[in-house]
Amino acid sequence: MTFFDQLMLQLDEGVTGLFGQWNAYSTLIVCLLSGFITFQVLTRREPDTHPFLLARQARGSPVRQENESPVYRSLAAPHGMPLNSGLNVKEPGASKWARGRDGDLRDIWRQVVAGVQDDGPTKGAKGRILTVLGTEHVTEHSLDAITRQINLVGQHILDQGGNRVGIYLPNSVEHMVTLFACAFHNLTAVILPFDQSDESVVSMLRRSAVDTVITAPGSFPFKNVVKSYPSLRQLIWVVDEGSAHMDWNEVPQGTGSSVNVSTWQDIVNEPPVDAGKELPPIAGQKEPRDVTIFWQSKPGTMEEMVRFTSANLISAISAQLFAIPTSQRIGPSDLFLPADSLANTHTLVLTLAALFCNASVAFNSAAAQANDLAIATRGISPTVIVTTPAALLKTHQEATHTGSSFIAQKLHWLQTRSLTQSGVMPIASALSSYYDRFRPAIGAKPGKLRLVYAAERVGAGTPPLSSQVLSDLRVFTGARVIYALTAPTVAGAVTQTAFYDYRVFEDKISHFGAPLSSTEVLLRDAGDVKNEDGKSRGEIVVKGPCVAGGEAALGVNGYMREDNTLAYL
Amino acid sequence: MDYVEKRVAQEAAKVASTTTEFLTPLNLILLGLFLWTTYTFLRPASPYLVPADPHATIFKVFTPRTLLPFNGENNQPVYLAVRGRVFDVSSGRSFYGPGGPYSNFAGRDASRGLACGSFDEEMLTKDLDGPLDKLADLTPDQLEALQGWEDKFTDKYLVVGKLVAVGDEKTVKRPSACGFA
Repeated sequence: MTFFDQLMLQLDEGVTGLFGQWNAYSTLIVCLLSGFITFQVLTRREPDTHPFLLARQARGSPVRQENESPVYRSLAAPHGMPLNSGLNVKEPGASKWARGRDGDLRDIWRQVVAGVQDDGPTKGAKGRILTVLGTEHVTEHSLDAITRQINLVGQHILDQGGNRVGIYLPNSVEHMVTLFACAFHNLTAVILPFDQSDESVVSMLRRSAVDTVITAPGSFPFKNVVKSYPSLRQLIWVVDEGSAHMDWNEVPQGTGSSVNVSTWQDIVNEPPVDAGKELPPIAGQKEPRDVTIFWQSKPGTMEEMVRFTSANLISAISAQLFAIPTSQRIGPSDLFLPADSLANTHTLVLTLAALFCNASVAFNSAAAQANDLAIATRGISPTVIVTTPAALLKTHQEATHTGSSFIAQKLHWLQTRSLTQSGVMPIASALSSYYDRFRPAIGAKPGKLRLVYAAERVGAGTPPLSSQVLSDLRVFTGARVIYALTAPTVAGAVTQTAFYDYRVFEDKISHFGAPLSSTEVLLRDAGDVKNEDGKSRGEIVVKGPCVAGGEAALGVNGYMREDNTLAYL
Repeated sequence: MDYVEKRVAQEAAKVASTTTEFLTPLNLILLGLFLWTTYTFLRPASPYLVPADPHATIFKVFTPRTLLPFNGENNQPVYLAVRGRVFDVSSGRSFYGPGGPYSNFAGRDASRGLACGSFDEEMLTKDLDGPLDKLADLTPDQLEALQGWEDKFTDKYLVVGKLVAVGDEKTVKRPSACGFA
């Protein structure tokens, strides 16, 4: 035979000989192999967002100043286009494509009352306003009753000659009503952080020059204030039902009688039922007034007073609305709980955004101080929460402690893999139902929570959350966690992690994501920390329509990571 | 066919025997295949890498002298100035670069030339060390034409600097390239 035939023969015999060894084990292995491949192919889930979108989350400007980095903007607000500055408010009958106006706080409440305007299954749906008292008791307030309160309280303050209204209340319906009353009746609102020492309260009142204060008895140092702050003209007590029978109109003896004292209940209940039903008309309304807030940094340091124009707040609200993908938008079926004080602009902006989306909003006056998610969510099952990093850390510690057994850890590892490798939230399956017992008890009904917001406050000493902690929290709560960077002179957040960003890195404190569509961030050389080509590092400077004064240097150093997200240096 | 018949006969004549051993070469090959497939599916995904953005150009203050080298020769980018703003027209190298029809403008103040619609040498400022061309003697038509050109440039090209007369560089405060719109 020729050489080629010989070769073919050898090849033939070799292959046949090899496969001639086929036995039961071979069949077994091949079955396992094909079973594995089929399982992987059938259970493969597409990541929630394309990995390329996570690999580059912001764009730097093509030109930069000598001592600064390029200006970074989110992909939703490209360079050359104006940043998000308005809510695109349209009149009820206008076409969907008509250009709306920027709007202000008044338009937010009008939207709450009008219900969902977009054609669709939820057209006309309105959110509910709930108050959680204690552990079980949940009361609902009708939107008409709240509108009436807004009108009556605002009118009362105006009649008494009020101009600057200080709000010293915990998270409550009255807090929100006063804010809207100030917006509708052209009063300047000053939001004071609740539960402060007497000297702080007096100092804040003096600095903000308020002439009216709305507060709750027990926490307000009335005698002290009347003595040290003679410019106070009006005081409105928000009294709970238990103490409503007492006479609150009495001014304590020895104090000046220049303060006009009344109670919320009197203002709201005295006028006839029909009074105050209609909101002031849109036509002919005056320019919206500013809102002043106090930024608390470390305990012991004086609070920083910041004045935000209505445009700042609206821009921040619109940016938060933009930050959530369309399919995950907050809507009438969501229940929003601010578990952080409404005196923080981040929480306030998110609450107003939730109201604008016609979501139901629940107020719990003990939530902010408790710093504990389980306590804050008693009695209701919120779907969206704003909370503090301290509360999240507490939840994380408790859940890690509960789930420290070997099996729990392995299940946790499996679910974390689903997040980091496949880029999807872990789905409920037979295996994960075993894991459910280790989940922290958040909300009356488990499994409803879908979104958690937390904010790192610059210079305020908030505990850091590493990306591992954030990922663990996603697994524990089954909800997406968004970590934002907030600063005194910026309404809302400076930067925020992406909705679908589940990546985990080795860090002590997680990165803060990309700028929002209402901010642009640059890093300015500061001391030894200098910018170079391709390496942006320096003091964080924020510009945008939501920054009080247009531009703000945050006083901390940061750098831009490879994926153009901001992180502390 | 002959070959096939012969081979079939050969195999048929063999004594049928099946090994019950696990560690046959075939099994080892199949096992290796299985383990490799498992590893490939279950290994941690490598992070997606997107190529780095190009470095940002640094915004500079130019004088007519320092602007001159940027005319496309020696691998330099092509810059030209319109009313005090320096544009990077390197993407239009075929027009403004060396050998192009408008190459007179490269590295120079092109305001007068654009206003009058002329590429002649006399449109450019002769004295590079002197003050900038004030454009005071242009007619309204020419000013309108210049505005049109400037708008077109702003849309199409990047502003990378500011043009001032020689000696004025120190007086320029921090030039601002882009703020939020």
